[in-house]
Amino acid sequence: MNAASTPATGFDIDVGPVRKALAFLAAIALGVIAWQIATWISDGWIPGVGEIADATVDSVVAADTWDQIWITSKRILIAFAASTAIGVAIGFASGLNRKAEAFFRPLVVIALATPDPLYVIIAILVLGTAESSGVIALTLALIPFVVTIVHGSVKARESQLDEMSAVYRLSRRRYLGQVLARQVTPALFAAARTSFAFAWKIVVLVEAISQPRGIGSEIYEQFRLLNAAEMIALALIFIVLMRLVDAIVFGGLERRLLAWSR
Amino acid sequence: MSRPYIDVEGLKASYDGEHLALDGVDMDVNENELVAVLGPSGCGKSTLLQVLSGLLRPVAGTATIAGMDMTRSNSDRPRVGYVFQDHRLLPWRTVAGNLRLVLDASGIPKADWDARIDHYLDILQIGQFRDAWPMRLSGGQRQRVSIARALAIDPAVVLMDEPFSTLDEVTARTMRQQLVDLWQESSRTIVFVTHSIREAIFLADRVVILTRGPARLLEDVAVPIGRPRRYEDAEITELESEIVDRVMGVWGYEEPAAA
Amino acid sequence: MASSQTASTAGPLLRPGRRWRSGGGSGSDRWFSALGLLSFVALWWFGSVTSDFVPPIGEVLDAIPTFLTEEDIYGDIADSLTRVVGSLAVAVIVGFWAAYLMARGGFWGLVVARYVDLAIGLPSTIAALLALFIFKRSEIGVFVVVVIACFPFVAITLRQGFLSLDRRLSEMSGVYRFGGISQIRNVTIPHLVPFTLASIRNEYAHAWRVVVIAELFAVNSGLGWRFTQAYDRFLLVDVALWLLVFIVLLLGTEYLILRPLERWVLRWRGGAL
Repeated sequence: MNAASTPATGFDIDVGPVRKALAFLAAIALGVIAWQIATWISDGWIPGVGEIADATVDSVVAADTWDQIWITSKRILIAFAASTAIGVAIGFASGLNRKAEAFFRPLVVIALATPDPLYVIIAILVLGTAESSGVIALTLALIPFVVTIVHGSVKARESQLDEMSAVYRLSRRRYLGQVLARQVTPALFAAARTSFAFAWKIVVLVEAISQPRGIGSEIYEQFRLLNAAEMIALALIFIVLMRLVDAIVFGGLERRLLAWSR
Repeated sequence: MSRPYIDVEGLKASYDGEHLALDGVDMDVNENELVAVLGPSGCGKSTLLQVLSGLLRPVAGTATIAGMDMTRSNSDRPRVGYVFQDHRLLPWRTVAGNLRLVLDASGIPKADWDARIDHYLDILQIGQFRDAWPMRLSGGQRQRVSIARALAIDPAVVLMDEPFSTLDEVTARTMRQQLVDLWQESSRTIVFVTHSIREAIFLADRVVILTRGPARLLEDVAVPIGRPRRYEDAEITELESEIVDRVMGVWGYEEPAAA
Repeated sequence: MASSQTASTAGPLLRPGRRWRSGGGSGSDRWFSALGLLSFVALWWFGSVTSDFVPPIGEVLDAIPTFLTEEDIYGDIADSLTRVVGSLAVAVIVGFWAAYLMARGGFWGLVVARYVDLAIGLPSTIAALLALFIFKRSEIGVFVVVVIACFPFVAITLRQGFLSLDRRLSEMSGVYRFGGISQIRNVTIPHLVPFTLASIRNEYAHAWRVVVIAELFAVNSGLGWRFTQAYDRFLLVDVALWLLVFIVLLLGTEYLILRPLERWVLRWRGGAL
């Protein structure tokens, strides 16, 4: 009997793909039923599933919806790209250099402890209500998360490989490219994926608070008008879309990029 | 003829439900004997101990200790002390805490606990670690705690599964000697599983040798060497090479055949 | 939003809790930390100079004493704190059961996994608006929003905890005849404690952020509400003050209470993993 860890019995029961699909359907069915019960209890205040479905169809065919989505998507893209780039740079710097780490530590801690709405408020105060303030607020809110992930993985790298590189006198470029990059690639990927995931969630807040156009502001608008079905419909469309993008883009990338490490 | 203290007959057992680890093993152990179970890696020696301790239900055959069937779970079964290869101490409890847990589970009255804990920790020379966290101890010290835990419950049998194989040689030597001393003082029945022939000979009254898995009894060798023994004794070496000769073919290390 | 975890829908989870190491470090490191802090102050000063709207640091600092003696700020602080602690507790309980079911696998485990997935993918703002709509302005709304936001992360972490339950210790407890309850109490639960504590620490900060968002929209008390009030009335010094309150509260409770507590509970670890 080997000394390696052996999992406890009774866990990780596997079911076939048929049951997996069934479980998915069951989850949806249960959710729908629960929702309808809520509708019934609230006397129609909460829109029924049918109402929501209608509103969804209406929204999907409306051109304006896609205009809004496009606007929001641009913001997400810019913030995602900028925050990932900046975050990776800072993360690497502080992971490799103790002084940089000490310097950035209080900033990151404070940034992580700042609630998201404050980023929006500060951006507006400094930059006015220009279009850019929303994107900048979003970017600033995302940077600390990226930094944390990258910093963590750079620090967690195997110091033995560092020593090996020193002994064999690998050039800085070789070291960065061959030794370090390979180790942190999974975390870089995770940081990018996280950045995107947070971006599309926080952008809703940013737009709800401050922007005249975009899915977030549209959702808020429908909320103010008490059009619950429309609000939920827009939210559904947006969420499904973003998760599809995540699954296709990042899921696909993950398989390609990390295949060598499996 | 009186029944042996530990009686295993025709034991067949599997650890994964598919492959037999033991394929009809017979073994006897008399009271207060120290018997070594010897076999190549992966042959099912551990499985034998698991059946004896009641952890594993056999597919066929019987295993009894002091006449009681160990394969059926009931509360009358004799207590068993088990020393694993890895210490299996609960890291979130102090040394004393670990002992208290098994004392409680064994139904020993609370009033006796402290005395037992002190006694067994002392004879294993780790009394000063009574309130220490296991993670702060060395490998050898943890195994001592594990042994103290096994002894503290006054078990009918002590089962030991290659307990010294992860320790460095010096520590292992010390522990072997200490085990023999302990055994001679306190008269316990010990079944000691190992893959080291020398260790088996040094420790045991008899060495039960198993075949490769699915395992059967290959031989039951008495160790006629007087105690106290020294690990480097010539007699041990002699017996060792005898056994090596006998098992080489069976355990699968054939001499290259003539062309 | 969780501070050191991926929020991707199905991505791998990095090890919990690898935050910046606080405290310690050599003398020159401290200088650089101080420099970092100073750059934050410098940024602030720069902002206040370039924009008419950012309150100067001096003004804000001066306003602190009077601010602290205002009675009713403590009511809002208490409200937010209660919401954070209360809903975090519920999130941990819900997350625990979700994790157990997911770790067991099987049919219901998969169903639960779908809901966990859904909850992770729900922006807190949308949840807050929905909660406001459904629950009007009651406390329940805030609790629901925070629980939905936080429980999935607890579930993911604890699921790892359950899956890493090792057969070896349960074999040991089987041999020594521990009995079902004793095994749960002495083997299973202590094994899960580090995972629980890590997820609490992470989700604590997350809960604070979500509570603020929820209070922004859904109730009339608490720090989030105060932020909107101050901002709407253009009381920018107040905005800065409430931000300070938030940061001090969050960091204070985390570093002075949570982390020491975690260290004490896990003191058996020593230097090892």
